[in-house]
Amino acid sequence: MKSSTLLAVPAVVAGLAPASFAQTAASAVTGTIVDATDRSPLPGVTVVVKGTTVGASTGPDGSFSLTLPPGSTTLTISAVGYESQTVAATGGPINVALKADVKQLSEVVVTGYSEQNRKTLTSAISSVKGDALKDIPAASPDQLLQGKAPGVQVSANSGVPGGGVFIRIRGSNSVNASNDPLYVVDGVFINNTNLIATGLGNQVSSNPLADINPQDIESIEILKDANATAIYGSRGANGVVLITTKRGKAGDKTRITFNTYHGWSKAPKQYELVSGPELAQLENERFLNDGGNPAQLPYRSVASGGRGLPEEQQTYDRLSDVFRTAQTQSYELSAAGGSAKTQFYVGGGYFRQESIARPTNFDRFSLRVNLDNSVTDRLRIGTSTALTRTHRNVSSNDNNPVGVINSALFPRTNLPIYNPDGTYAKYGSFDNHQALIDNLNNDAVGSRVISNVYGQYQFGKHLTLRSSWSIDFNDMYENNFNNTLILAGQPRGTATSFLSRDITLLNEQTLNYSVDFGENHSLQALVGNTIQKNTFQRTSLSGQQFPSNDLTSIASAATQTGSSSRSQAGLLSFFGKATYSFKQRYTADVSLRADASSRFGADNRWGYFPAVGLGWRLSEEEFIKNLNVFQELKLRGSVGKTGNQAGISDFAARGLVQGGANYLDLPGTTPLQLANPNLSWESTRQWNVGLDAAVLQSRLLLELNYYDKYTSGLLLNVPVPRKTGFASVVENYGAVSNKGFEVQLTANWLPSASAVQWSTTFNVARNVNRIEKLAAPITSGSRDIFRLEEGAPLYSFWLYHQTGVNSETGDAQYQDVNGDGQLSVADRKLVGNAWPDYFGGVTNSVTYKGLDFGFTLNFEQGAKIMNMNRFFLVHGGTQSNIGYLREQLDRWQKPGDQTDIPRLTTNPASNNYGGVVQNLSDRYLEDGSFLRLRTLSLGYTVPKEVAAKAHLNSLRLYVQATNLLTITPYSGIDPEVNSQSGVANTKNIDWATVPQPRTFQVGITVGL
Amino acid sequence: MKSSLYHLLFAAVLGAATLSFSACNDLLDPTPVQQLPDDQAITDASSARSATIGVYDRVQAYYQLNWPVLGFLPGENVRFNGTLNQFLQIDQNQLSADNVLITEAWTQMYQAVNGANNVLAALPGLSDPLLTATEKNQLLGEAYFLRALVYFDLGRGWGGVPLVLTPTRTKENGRGIRRSTLAQTYDQVLADLTQAEALLPEAATRNRAVKAAARALRARLHLYRQQWTEAEAYATQVISSSNYGLVTPYRAISTAPFLSRESVFELTFSNSDANTMWNNWFPSALGGQFNFQPVPAAIALLNDPTVGGNRSALLATTVIAGSNVTYGNLYSRSAQRDDPSYVLRLAEQYLIRAEARAKQGKLTDALADLNAVRARAGVPASTAATADALLLAIEDERRVEFAFEADRWFDLVRTGRAGAVLGVTDQRRWVFPLPFNDLVADPDLEQNPGY
Repeated sequence: MKSSTLLAVPAVVAGLAPASFAQTAASAVTGTIVDATDRSPLPGVTVVVKGTTVGASTGPDGSFSLTLPPGSTTLTISAVGYESQTVAATGGPINVALKADVKQLSEVVVTGYSEQNRKTLTSAISSVKGDALKDIPAASPDQLLQGKAPGVQVSANSGVPGGGVFIRIRGSNSVNASNDPLYVVDGVFINNTNLIATGLGNQVSSNPLADINPQDIESIEILKDANATAIYGSRGANGVVLITTKRGKAGDKTRITFNTYHGWSKAPKQYELVSGPELAQLENERFLNDGGNPAQLPYRSVASGGRGLPEEQQTYDRLSDVFRTAQTQSYELSAAGGSAKTQFYVGGGYFRQESIARPTNFDRFSLRVNLDNSVTDRLRIGTSTALTRTHRNVSSNDNNPVGVINSALFPRTNLPIYNPDGTYAKYGSFDNHQALIDNLNNDAVGSRVISNVYGQYQFGKHLTLRSSWSIDFNDMYENNFNNTLILAGQPRGTATSFLSRDITLLNEQTLNYSVDFGENHSLQALVGNTIQKNTFQRTSLSGQQFPSNDLTSIASAATQTGSSSRSQAGLLSFFGKATYSFKQRYTADVSLRADASSRFGADNRWGYFPAVGLGWRLSEEEFIKNLNVFQELKLRGSVGKTGNQAGISDFAARGLVQGGANYLDLPGTTPLQLANPNLSWESTRQWNVGLDAAVLQSRLLLELNYYDKYTSGLLLNVPVPRKTGFASVVENYGAVSNKGFEVQLTANWLPSASAVQWSTTFNVARNVNRIEKLAAPITSGSRDIFRLEEGAPLYSFWLYHQTGVNSETGDAQYQDVNGDGQLSVADRKLVGNAWPDYFGGVTNSVTYKGLDFGFTLNFEQGAKIMNMNRFFLVHGGTQSNIGYLREQLDRWQKPGDQTDIPRLTTNPASNNYGGVVQNLSDRYLEDGSFLRLRTLSLGYTVPKEVAAKAHLNSLRLYVQATNLLTITPYSGIDPEVNSQSGVANTKNIDWATVPQPRTFQVGITVGL
Repeated sequence: MKSSLYHLLFAAVLGAATLSFSACNDLLDPTPVQQLPDDQAITDASSARSATIGVYDRVQAYYQLNWPVLGFLPGENVRFNGTLNQFLQIDQNQLSADNVLITEAWTQMYQAVNGANNVLAALPGLSDPLLTATEKNQLLGEAYFLRALVYFDLGRGWGGVPLVLTPTRTKENGRGIRRSTLAQTYDQVLADLTQAEALLPEAATRNRAVKAAARALRARLHLYRQQWTEAEAYATQVISSSNYGLVTPYRAISTAPFLSRESVFELTFSNSDANTMWNNWFPSALGGQFNFQPVPAAIALLNDPTVGGNRSALLATTVIAGSNVTYGNLYSRSAQRDDPSYVLRLAEQYLIRAEARAKQGKLTDALADLNAVRARAGVPASTAATADALLLAIEDERRVEFAFEADRWFDLVRTGRAGAVLGVTDQRRWVFPLPFNDLVADPDLEQNPGY
């Protein structure tokens, strides 16, 4: 136990006046201050005797002692990041649990290149604390944001661990350029390009953010409006996600934390296929409907030359072989601490997650070192360095007939899995699922270094110069071997190997000026520059014809071919911003960034991205104060412009001819793309108005935003007449708008002094996306299922609209859009889109003494999903190698039947399942709304005394369920699905995709 | 220490600032290492050769899968057994304008045209001592031939098409070029073939264009235009060349190393430039996807000793789950992936001449040509005695001779028999739809009626 340093000294000098000593019975008070959530001791907490300057601060074990002046019995206990408490000193030891400060409005938020008090913020920025994320069993931090931040739409593309995530901040601005936000980890702009080259059914194979260990994260800030993002200029249009990792604190005893959990996951639901006998009945019916001879039914007795009677058919279950109870393990050991001069955080983690669909796995080793050192009073240096090694055992699903789920889902259920001789049986285009599970051998090993070193020098009181040098080195090494037991390995084994490398080098200088003029004026200004260079390279090798299934290296192949590719881009930027605040009541921000990109021609290279923001804290005005209602009331407004150049090729502006068009093994060249020397920045104008309010003694907090974005000069692949020999050219043409609002409401249901603490945060957002201008409609996706049209949103489905099934004939009827009396492509129309009307989430937490209980919900309402599983498995007989979903049993059979499943037939004239319609009917387009209980957790923090007996500082145990419950009208396995994530301008296709697992986990956090 | 550290930091900042200006040009003007600016693509002998090879590559692209499919799948020999509706539409003669295979073929074909136009525009003005007049003529001749082939295929597929004859540099190039008539399209093919024949070498190369390839295509062009004397004359020129002869057995055409004496023009593939067509024909037990399955009637014909003869080699059989499964075996090089695409064969020249002669009343000569093809297949000679019987015999012969090549559909459309034989009675459906996407992008285009 040690007496405080900082406050105790003045206490002695000034507070304890000689007069006090003259009085009698100054009493000693001791006590311990702990964190209310995890019961860990809190060092550095200020304890002051109310009404005096007498005080102390707690030591590393959270304890304090001070001498109470006579007549004083009340202590005020305060610490940064915690709610202050006032307690009575009643004689015995004082034990206080401090609660984390949930009054967001007073916190400090990380903004672009600086930090700002939320009070003076004029931008729309959402903050998520690392603590809220750390227990969710997902590999990557972006997925953890689901439902946590208003206006941020997050959904996993599939349930594959370490797989891609769809994330949009306030909608999609762009058609061809990227719509992903910029991720900045401790000041490093990181690459977010999938490096896995192995084709996996058009799914984005990996999420590069899975290289970041969520447990290292201190906080995530999401910059949404132009005022917040314009400082990132051309990188900012899609929003910016700032990830700050944990750092040591000065004067902190080294704290060692061990955190582990184990989870068990299963598919929440399974596909429902027809049985063998049912399949045979359907096939016979189809045969008769097609005018077949009743004596020649395909499923008649074997004796008469048939495949056996329907009732003789077996039913084979393939899906149970694919889906398993998958395990997740996470281990994390970290140490944080520091002296006045040097602070550190070191952490190491291991995470392993199996996919619920065999045979995919993901694991990750991660290390992090964050160091800060004050070399002198003025000079500070430091680093944030993370090393990660990931390993994925990938396998194909989605749009790939030889994918694992496909090969289990699509083959007819009456067909045996094995041939009579015991070999794997394969049908149609499909592989044998068990052959794939047993033999797939696709390894992808990623190595990642994200590192930053900085030096920071303080000139005088107000001026700070910072220079930082960063690298993001991302490497992916893939080795695939397909042996002869699977189709991909036909006929004598095939192998591919890829080495892909994506490197970003970044140098950045900022000069920060911060000053308060008197009491009322504060000014923060910053200028800076960055130089960024990105190189991407890939070397690929392939081999065919292997001597045996055991020789898997390409060196053994009879035929070996190789290739390599390389590309680079540079970005040069200058930027500045200033924030002026008067009495913390009126705040004005201005910022400007100038970017030059190598992707554009010399004349169009520079883009200028300005923004202004204004904030007015009405709650500081007398007339509001007098109302005595608002603890905080602030109006915000901002407008600005950001740019985008991501997603186009590095040399998109140039007219190019490419090699590789070989013939007779002679080198050939062929035109690649048309020149567009006028190509320039895509830019987004955005304005935002917002309101922050706190009422009922800050127990109810409200944050509102309304925004309007207009992106013009789209970097668009504008279709050109194909007679030119080209299909499109990249032009700045077209416009997209996004308008919407965001609401976040936080309620602390009970007074902060009560033993039970209960808080709920609810957020909801609406975004309306619209293509404002387009040269000509553009189709995208498999079978051109999507179409971009002026006036419609992106991700609009372009299908035939089925009006019903004629109850007399059993044939499907479609809307004759152009009214010409016949069905043609002109009758395809936009029948819905993949955008939710509303989306959001609820986070609820209750604590009582050592117990904590919480749940999170997230929801989307109104998005459509194209269910390709039904498209294929409700095929009316047109797919001779594919089985049926049970839904097919609801088909029309006889006049008078009321159903929307037309009669079985392969006759194209009926257009029931083929013909002109090609089965592209909105019959398979479904409402994908859902409300999901994302997490449900219960934890217990062992009282400190008990933990101490085990020589532990703290101990928390918890159980959690993830995706326990999903309420949805969607008929597929999982409404959170995006099977064609690798295909531009598509969303919400469900196609033999791994669903989000339902997971039960137990975990323990130990403070050593 | 403090000041030296300060200097160090200052130097770093200064260094970075200097770097940002001096390296500015490097940073902002990277040179592509994988592509060439389009105006520097054909500058010397070597780049001229590469550009010509590039045109072959584009022709290979549409002949590898899409063109054969559009030739055989609408016919009655093969059914589609896979999952992709665009193929099913073709099989069921129910094409719609949003058929993605149609779009892809159309796009690839105009890419080939643009490649040829680039060669034809750049080569005449090119002077490089390493490029001899002979080679220059050869490259020009090849470009003319390949452009003729593409426009011929476009014409027989879609009817008259836009005739673009100069290289594209901007998207405005070609603006205002509307669809020509089929006759104008074929006239252009003829003009190109005339140039090609004059420029190409007289040689026996079979996977690059030579004079005989131009003549053989010209014989086919005249057949399609019902110009019987010219068709006969050009077919005769090819047939009488000592470089070509029918090979026996039939399977020898498609046996490695290919380039048989019968081949007038075929597109060669290799393991590094792979033809995966086999994958569409082989059952999954053999590693394929079994997308194209010969129908029982075709299997019966090919296996009939009086009809198919040794053309039964187009089929093979394997045992799957205890029962025999017959599949197409023309494209069979699953390991080497070097099956060629067959474009012009001598057997076709015989059948062109047979038909041209029959149309001119030269029945004996016509029958002799037909029987030359039949004899090679090991089937008894035809005894067709009338012109009509002979023409029908020729049609039937083509059905088995080119069973899995790009022929049957175009043949029946050409003779006006697609309605009678295939039941496609709506004559508007005898040409393919123009891709819907292109109609939207190109105001000069007009859709074929009926789509």
